[in-house]
Amino acid sequence: MDTMRGDTIGADAPDVAAIAAAHRGSRAALIAILREVQAARGYLPEDALRAVARHTGRSLVDVYAVASFYHSFSLKPRGRHTVCACLGTACHVRGGQQVVEALSRELGVRAGETTPDGEFTLETANCLGACALGPVVVVDGRYFAKVNPGKVRRILSQARSGVAAPEAADGERALVTEAVCPECGRPLLDAARPIDGYPSLQVSAQCNGWRGRARISCVDGVLDGAPENAAALERVRLFCPHCSAGLNDLLRCGECGVPTVSVLAGDGALVQMCGCGEQRVRRAEVEGAGARREIAQLS
Amino acid sequence: MRSLSSVEDLAALRQRLAGRGERAIPTIVIPAGTCGRANGALDLVRAAKRELLARELVGRIGLRVTGCHGFCEMEPSVLVAPHGTFYPKVASEEMGRIIGAAAQDRVVTDLLFADGEGERIERQDDIPFFARQTRRLLGRNQEVDPTRIEDYLASGGYAALAAALAAGPEPVVAEVKASGLRGRGGAGFPTGAKWEMLARQPGRRGKFLVCNADEGDPGAYMDRSALEGNPHAILEGMLVGAVGTGANEGVIYVRDEYPLAIRHVSMAIRQARALGLLGERILGTDLSFDIEVVRGAGAFVCGEETALIRSIEGKVGEPRQRPPFPVQRGIDGKPTLINNVETWANIPLILEKGAAEFAAVGTQGNSGTKIFSLVGKVKRTGLVEVPMGATLGEIIHDIGGGPVGAAAVKAVQTGGPSGGCIPAARFDLPVDYDALTAAGSIMGSGGMIVMDAHTCMVDVARYFMGFLKQESCGKCFTCRKGTQRMHEILDDITRGEGSPEHLQLLEELALAVKDTTMCGLGQTAANPVLSTLRYFREEYLEHIRHGRCPAAVCKALVTYSINEACTGCGACRRACPGEAIRGASKERHVIDSARCTKCGMCVTVCQFGAVAVA
Repeated sequence: MDTMRGDTIGADAPDVAAIAAAHRGSRAALIAILREVQAARGYLPEDALRAVARHTGRSLVDVYAVASFYHSFSLKPRGRHTVCACLGTACHVRGGQQVVEALSRELGVRAGETTPDGEFTLETANCLGACALGPVVVVDGRYFAKVNPGKVRRILSQARSGVAAPEAADGERALVTEAVCPECGRPLLDAARPIDGYPSLQVSAQCNGWRGRARISCVDGVLDGAPENAAALERVRLFCPHCSAGLNDLLRCGECGVPTVSVLAGDGALVQMCGCGEQRVRRAEVEGAGARREIAQLS
Repeated sequence: MRSLSSVEDLAALRQRLAGRGERAIPTIVIPAGTCGRANGALDLVRAAKRELLARELVGRIGLRVTGCHGFCEMEPSVLVAPHGTFYPKVASEEMGRIIGAAAQDRVVTDLLFADGEGERIERQDDIPFFARQTRRLLGRNQEVDPTRIEDYLASGGYAALAAALAAGPEPVVAEVKASGLRGRGGAGFPTGAKWEMLARQPGRRGKFLVCNADEGDPGAYMDRSALEGNPHAILEGMLVGAVGTGANEGVIYVRDEYPLAIRHVSMAIRQARALGLLGERILGTDLSFDIEVVRGAGAFVCGEETALIRSIEGKVGEPRQRPPFPVQRGIDGKPTLINNVETWANIPLILEKGAAEFAAVGTQGNSGTKIFSLVGKVKRTGLVEVPMGATLGEIIHDIGGGPVGAAAVKAVQTGGPSGGCIPAARFDLPVDYDALTAAGSIMGSGGMIVMDAHTCMVDVARYFMGFLKQESCGKCFTCRKGTQRMHEILDDITRGEGSPEHLQLLEELALAVKDTTMCGLGQTAANPVLSTLRYFREEYLEHIRHGRCPAAVCKALVTYSINEACTGCGACRRACPGEAIRGASKERHVIDSARCTKCGMCVTVCQFGAVAVA
């Protein structure tokens, strides 16, 4: 019996096993594990809670207690888009409740529920800390200020087409103002080593047996630091200096045809950088998990 | 950058960074905290970069992306340093003109700030909103890019740490005590005394310092702004705390609703570690201290010390009985000191200025400045920093510019769900811990929600009770059921189903909950009810006796109608989800009250103010 149980560990929920292993011995592990499992699965299904209990050695009751106590966790499946209306005091006195009612009417669900087509989950928050802009609605990480019932329909239609659309439209040239590794979320821009006066992207590079650190200009994407003959990104493999995740994309640059490097820019846009100087914007759905998902789809 | 191995190394690096001349050239400063970003600050940043490149001004005009400066309502804004030219609500297309002018030492007059019909004001420091503040902490946000430790160092950062290391533990604690700093989280416990208690605890197994950034009070966001805008100040405050108390581990507990704060503070910790300002043997001394970020998961009660500790331990955030106090038995049973974000942010200031100069601002027993989030029905909303002891009137009228429209300001709510509402007649009250408590509210963490004639005080009380009912952890029966019952009664009153006896019952319940619960949440839960009953009893009685809501907020008691200002444009008719509005084109429309759901849609779409709610 014990062996059978042992066999099933990791086999039924390999994602949970990996997340739990990464947090072994760390403080507040249970909350952090549940958060990551929810990010991966979209919510906390029963089998995931059981797997978390097994892998952390906590009882299922404990795990369920934590999962149901904190508002951030959802035990029900969630929609593709999350619409969160703030009901903090400042938003409340400016009519936040009417905004929630309008959202509820438009979506046909109550706060805390998901539309039957799985598109939207409607949530309310006690305060999102953007009180000067109230009433505030946050859709997939994007903040909408001074919302009233009349603006609700437009916000929802924007949500359907993707709210994280950056200033530059799809395919336009862009400048990277803030870049994090799509995998581990740690920053890639280094202000201490500027190129052309701007922080450069720090990466680990590998090319024809050479290994080392290289810099990419955030202005035009030109690689600096790798050996001369490797100047074209095509022959260089790039990695995140923090987590060593590969940064080369399978997507090729439309101008010169070499593989591009993907980074997440500040507004959640996925920016594809290429050594030929072209930086193209591609829309990502949301910052974080959603963008990661989009990268996965591209590659 | 190499790791620093001595205090001299740190001083040399600071000097080198300050001497680079980056701060002498005209610099475009763009506040891009969460509120700035919500208003398009990142678009401005991109536009600025493009313009700087196109005009070949890189190196001659600097660009600094910072956290929030406080005037959130005017964002996205641009500040041109060092002159201090302030441009509110800048459109991306205007960036070229602003940069062009900055390069020639000019200003773009038509983009400057103007107060209503008033004259245009060139410099930020001359705008009343800023001029009447004492911006000791907030003022630093515009000096640093929070993602660059170099900026913090160049503006004098980590000098307080060096001073603390030179002074040694006891003088550091003595200095904090002498400053008179009191906890900015709300209760106002003397910070120095708390530090002394931790310093006296045996620390063989280690001691913890916690930064409480679980800013749960709705309507307050000072802590978010501090973490987003100047995270190194918090780290430095905690490092000074480690010197003073002998703590070796630090935790910053940030609420999950603040993703940008979490990111900036995590970046700051990594940068400080890389420079050897966190970790083992800091700057070659015996000090070893590291900080970890722990994210909350959305539970208001976790702002309470003992619940916070349990949440840090990865458990359900239920408070426990005290004593033992956290300073005796905290995280993992080790002595733990918990201070609020703003408290930590004040520490470097005390070490730099000295206790006497720090205490020169404020009043006796309430030293230093306090940041408030001035929001709600007030003309100028944002974060304001004033000396302790400033009056409510100064903050709301002089800095905030008074009411938004024609409706007069009626009250201000301070202290979040644990606080109360103070009527306009008492706006001469000085803002300090003791005066606000005496008036039936509390200082709290610094939320200040202004309410005008269109705010119903019964509805406000009902709102807070609904909040507390939801957030009560349920451990104490009287809190769990008491908040629920009070909410039901208040709900009845807002629906016109209240009776005069209800008010007596509310007062009884309020006292019972106050006296028989274990933690701060329950003990203060009655404040919103008691303070509104104390100052606005008439409004309650109006609901009960006449079934009328004077502010026209309580849905069950109001009716919607269309007055003679109607032009018959049909906007409301098309927008009405209940198809309750009828009327021919260019003729006055009518609302069918039987079908009207009172959703408010018609009010928001009407351009002529023709929909009346009464």
